Amino acid sequence: MLKVTNLEVCVGGKKIVKGVNLSVGDNELHVIIGPNGSGKSTLLSALMGLPRVKICSGSILFNDVDITYTPPYERAKLGIALAHQNPPSIRGVKFSEVVKNMIKHCGCSDFTIMSKMLRVDDLMSRDLFVGFSGGERKRAELYLVMLQNPKLALLDEPDSGVDVESLNIIANAINSLVRRGSSIILVTHSGSILSKLERVDRVHLMFDGSIVYSGIADEIIPLVFKYGFRGIVEKIKKS
Amino acid sequence: MLSSKLLEVIKKPAPIGPDIDLSKYELGEPKIYSSLDVVDELNNITSKLGIEDTSKFSYIQINENAMYEALRNVLGNYGVKVIPLKKALEELTYAKDLVWRLVSPETDKYTAATYLYGGELGYFIYVPPHTRVPIPIYSCLAITSNKKVQFAHNVVYVDEGSEAQVITGCLVPHGVKEGLHIGISEFYVGRGAKLTFAMIHSWAEGVHVRPRTTVDVAPGGEYVSYYVIYSPVASLQTFPLTILGSDSKTSTTSVIAGSGRGVYDVGSKVLLSGDNSSAEVISKVVATDSSEIYARSDIIAESVSKGHVECLGLLLSPNSKISSIPSITSKKPGAILSHEAAIGVIAEEELEYLMSKGFKEDEAKSVLVRGFIDIDLRGLPPTIRYEIEKILDTIARNVVGI
Repeated sequence: MLKVTNLEVCVGGKKIVKGVNLSVGDNELHVIIGPNGSGKSTLLSALMGLPRVKICSGSILFNDVDITYTPPYERAKLGIALAHQNPPSIRGVKFSEVVKNMIKHCGCSDFTIMSKMLRVDDLMSRDLFVGFSGGERKRAELYLVMLQNPKLALLDEPDSGVDVESLNIIANAINSLVRRGSSIILVTHSGSILSKLERVDRVHLMFDGSIVYSGIADEIIPLVFKYGFRGIVEKIKKS
Repeated sequence: MLSSKLLEVIKKPAPIGPDIDLSKYELGEPKIYSSLDVVDELNNITSKLGIEDTSKFSYIQINENAMYEALRNVLGNYGVKVIPLKKALEELTYAKDLVWRLVSPETDKYTAATYLYGGELGYFIYVPPHTRVPIPIYSCLAITSNKKVQFAHNVVYVDEGSEAQVITGCLVPHGVKEGLHIGISEFYVGRGAKLTFAMIHSWAEGVHVRPRTTVDVAPGGEYVSYYVIYSPVASLQTFPLTILGSDSKTSTTSVIAGSGRGVYDVGSKVLLSGDNSSAEVISKVVATDSSEIYARSDIIAESVSKGHVECLGLLLSPNSKISSIPSITSKKPGAILSHEAAIGVIAEEELEYLMSKGFKEDEAKSVLVRGFIDIDLRGLPPTIRYEIEKILDTIARNVVGI
């Protein structure tokens, strides 16, 4: 479904993502872990085509179509959705208004079930993300991703800054996305959500802009918790 | 002699706004009709305000022809009078005490011209004491021929303990290119009364507009005003004044969508005259094309009172201009006044966010502009709220060209 080759991404003239190669198959769940500032969010932004990041070289193929320079709304139409790590608070724009527009665009039919699952009904009349708590913000953002019925969902730190209850709700929603057939790239630096996921197909360790290790969760996650990101990277280099 | 004074006033440009040569415009003979049927295609005129059903209107003035039959019986059941001012001055003794009391004919050349040549057309609305009028009172002022001047002198009196909503639409239909509209408004809000007034303007590139308004709010009264303009104009200049008695309050909200080469000089001035009075002046302005917008606001505290000004601007074209001129003045220790003014552009981060959700760039901009001009319409009845929201939706689409 997704094939990323030698991708280099710059922000403000500085290279943040350095030669990333990544392949994600249909209905696979991949996790990218790494410390803060390792380039995980920039990679997801580049996969979504956000204008603030610039692709310096490399390519992105989505279902064999080259989307390296395709604008974000076209990528959304193709079935890629991004849950932003820090979605902006937008005054005057009602959450329900964005939901309504997205249902119109995407033709999503089970939006009421999803809104109940993510407990966002009470947020509908409020301005988009204005005054939302950490958990509300993550649940609302994930709801918008689910409305897109994505073929590929890019989830940027859905587990950061949320309480245990919201974490469970978010994990359930991600499991539901997988059961509905979506492929997922989930970025996390804490890994707190991983034990709640029904399935993780592949874990990638990102460090200083590069993917330095890819493997299965049971291999890498215990080592990360034991040695920390820097420690595990040093061990990988030595071996 | 007042008239000789006014003839002097009429020669001088007004202190604010581009000067208009009054001699360039034609004035017809004022006529009054009791029926709305005398004008063909009335629906086409009023539909520009988002209201296609002309039977909702209590007063319609096309050029110098005033029509006032509709809703008369319904409103009459509540003792409400809606008649042309000229007729009110002939038939109601109290009407004479209410005209030219809040707005002096000597204010500037436009008030002087209205006094001398306007024939006292415009509407007179009276709501008797302790009456809550359950339906909005609609009026429409339109110019349908080129190079016409339209004078309208409007007086509204909401008596003690009463409540009413007045909605006025001022417009030219498609095809009218030039004109001048001068509107004098004198509103009285009695003790403990509430007047909600919404004005919607839809003009054309060659039309100049000069409203002159003063509102007097008696102790315990409330005046809520909404003003929306969503069309090009040649120029619009208005700076209405609200005078607040003790324990009274006002909230004025303006949405200005500047387009074409129009000059929009719009403001709101409030005099906090009585203790415990309070005012909130909000303006949201969006400039496109080569438009110039001057957003003025002025709150003066002469008592222990509260006032807040919020003026937000969105500049969408490199050829347009927004100037925000907020002013707060306190003459009384204990008064609390504040202001907030900001002019910006559409935030890239917000645009990018919506585009990542599948919105095309223009769609995303339109959603953000709609959010920017969103105003609190909770004080209005649902039907009017819906109509104003439709107009705000139109503004948001128009300014980004979709």
